[in-house]
Amino acid sequence: MALNPLTLRKLRRFRSIKSGYWSFLILAGLVVLSLGGELLVNNRPLVIRYEGRWFFPTYGANLPGTTFGYDYGYETDYRALAARFHAETAEAKTRTDAPPTARSRNWLVMPLVPFNPNENAAYEGVFKPAPPSWAGGPPGHWLGTDTTGRDIFARLFYGFRITILFALGFTALTYLIGIAVGCLMGYYGGVFDLIVQRAIEIWSNIPFLYIVIILFSVVPATFSIPMRITLLLLVMVLFSWTSMTYYMRTATYREKARDYTAAAVVLGAGPGRIIFYHILPNTISTLVTFMPFTIASAITAVTALDFLGFGLPPPSPSIGELLKQGTQSLTTAPWIVGSAFAALVSILILVTFIGEALREAFDPKKFTTYQ
Amino acid sequence: MTPDANQNPPAQPLLEVKGLKMHFPVREGLFLRAKRSNRAVDGLDLSLATGETLGLVGESGCGKSTLGKCIVRLYRPSAGQILFQGRDLAHAKGAALKAQRRHLQMIFQDPVESLNARHTVADIVAEPLVIHGIGDAHSRQRKVRELLDRVGLPANAAERFPFEFSGGQRQRIGIARAIALGPRLIVCDEPVSALDVSIQSQVLNLLLELQHDLGLSYLFIAHNLAVVKHVSDRVAIMYLGKIVELADAEEIYRNPRHPYTRALISAIPEPDPLRSAHKQRIVLSGDVPSPINPPSGCAFHPRCPHATDRCKHEAPALRALASTEAAPGAATTASPHHLSCHYDL
Repeated sequence: MALNPLTLRKLRRFRSIKSGYWSFLILAGLVVLSLGGELLVNNRPLVIRYEGRWFFPTYGANLPGTTFGYDYGYETDYRALAARFHAETAEAKTRTDAPPTARSRNWLVMPLVPFNPNENAAYEGVFKPAPPSWAGGPPGHWLGTDTTGRDIFARLFYGFRITILFALGFTALTYLIGIAVGCLMGYYGGVFDLIVQRAIEIWSNIPFLYIVIILFSVVPATFSIPMRITLLLLVMVLFSWTSMTYYMRTATYREKARDYTAAAVVLGAGPGRIIFYHILPNTISTLVTFMPFTIASAITAVTALDFLGFGLPPPSPSIGELLKQGTQSLTTAPWIVGSAFAALVSILILVTFIGEALREAFDPKKFTTYQ
Repeated sequence: MTPDANQNPPAQPLLEVKGLKMHFPVREGLFLRAKRSNRAVDGLDLSLATGETLGLVGESGCGKSTLGKCIVRLYRPSAGQILFQGRDLAHAKGAALKAQRRHLQMIFQDPVESLNARHTVADIVAEPLVIHGIGDAHSRQRKVRELLDRVGLPANAAERFPFEFSGGQRQRIGIARAIALGPRLIVCDEPVSALDVSIQSQVLNLLLELQHDLGLSYLFIAHNLAVVKHVSDRVAIMYLGKIVELADAEEIYRNPRHPYTRALISAIPEPDPLRSAHKQRIVLSGDVPSPINPPSGCAFHPRCPHATDRCKHEAPALRALASTEAAPGAATTASPHHLSCHYDL
């Protein structure tokens, strides 16, 4: 199906707004990178060649230390393994009869940032925040480590991934419910509209934060982390879809009263066809412009909840949790709050630029459907 | 209610409206209870024969569009019957109503509003075929091309969008959509009043041509008497939800009987300055009363120059005038002249 030329023109206009377009490209690139994040930021190597065998541990099973000749049964410390292979190569080169290209038969490739967000690296035997590598900290930690010795870059990277996926899922669900309910209210109107509106008013006055606090204090400890994240997402959606219905309800009322809807009725179209084929395509373009702002508010909301300790369950990496640590150790480890703050601000600026550009491109004052 | 508004041919009319009422509740007060209602159409009878064009004229707010929308069942009438091909549409629903919709279409006033801007012309014209499950994608495409050609649009219009066309062309798209299902009756709700004068006649001629070729009947709603005269076989004059006069087009222009009709006809601009000098203009005083609170008796009495006490208390019925009363020289095939007035003025 060909895109409507009006839509094409809006998209072209969006592309012509450089700040928004580049923000969109950067953010989309970051999301794509973060989806394959295990290949970039991980303590497992991309590939291992050991005694003539190949290993690809990134997405595979846990390889115990015994696989590589260690005497421990827990997961291999790959950075130590890398150091060992390095030493083997160095030793091979020191042999008198070694050709200049001599190296160990064993080798591995570590990801760009060889740390796992949940891995506590203890330096000098204690868990304490280490400054960034460029400020005299241990090598490899570009942004230093947090209060329990976890790499801040890895935590920010995975925190970004969880947050943005959470925000996208949140936006998709709130739009789905809000559009469905708002559209039904606008389409059927009358008593149905009146009752649902009152119900929404009551519902939206329930204090969200208390519900979250109460809910997570009664959730049994057996719930896994993905289950807890899903639960938090559902609770947030449950208390946020209502604002979408207001726009959708009025937009549907407006479109329903227009003659093309009447024409469809006269032709014999049923409610399903009228809603999905006629009304929705005409109302959704305005809703698209809200979307980046919904995403931005979802990111802020989940960060705030994390900051308060009611958000993503520990040890999930998150920006809010880093901010919380950082403010608590502001004097001893200012780099924690610094990088978390910078990351949050950058994400929000990117999203807001996209939103501004979308709003500008979809501005009906410039591009009306009436020529 | 008049016993019968039928005329030639004596066979069953295509459309017969009996005692139709459309009252919209006026919700007010704290609990939005409907205490009063807007009587947009208030007990109206008319009939329409196959192949006939009935012009429906009235001021804005007289309920003529509401009547049209009731007939195509955009509204569910409060009371009365709409007999279309012998079936009552007023209370039809579901599949029975959908089946009748194939034969009953509408052309809208505003061709910008009545075409969905998100769909191509091909989508718009093919939609009735899709809804009624006629043909496959290929045969529909062929049919769309036929229809576009029929209404005088180029074949390459199919892939374009409504906003790429002028007002008259858009109205042609609306007409192509309306005739796609091969209807028998089309309600034309002021189909040319949104168009340029230069385009109006082209679209009117297209409508007349289609009527001739396809045997269509039109209920032609308008406020422009000159346009109505051009297209209509018979003309009905509506005032506050009721028909006050109904006669052959020629007859009603030559021999208007109702004071309201006379006022309307005297308001038609006369292009000939010699004749316009002699023309007597009847100017009505006051505004159209609110259909929420219509006057007692004859609804026209507050503005009628001939009103008597009887008019204030007693509502006149629409009655057929004896043919002798009709003006001499009226067409021989003339249908009875109907009038809703106590007096023969």
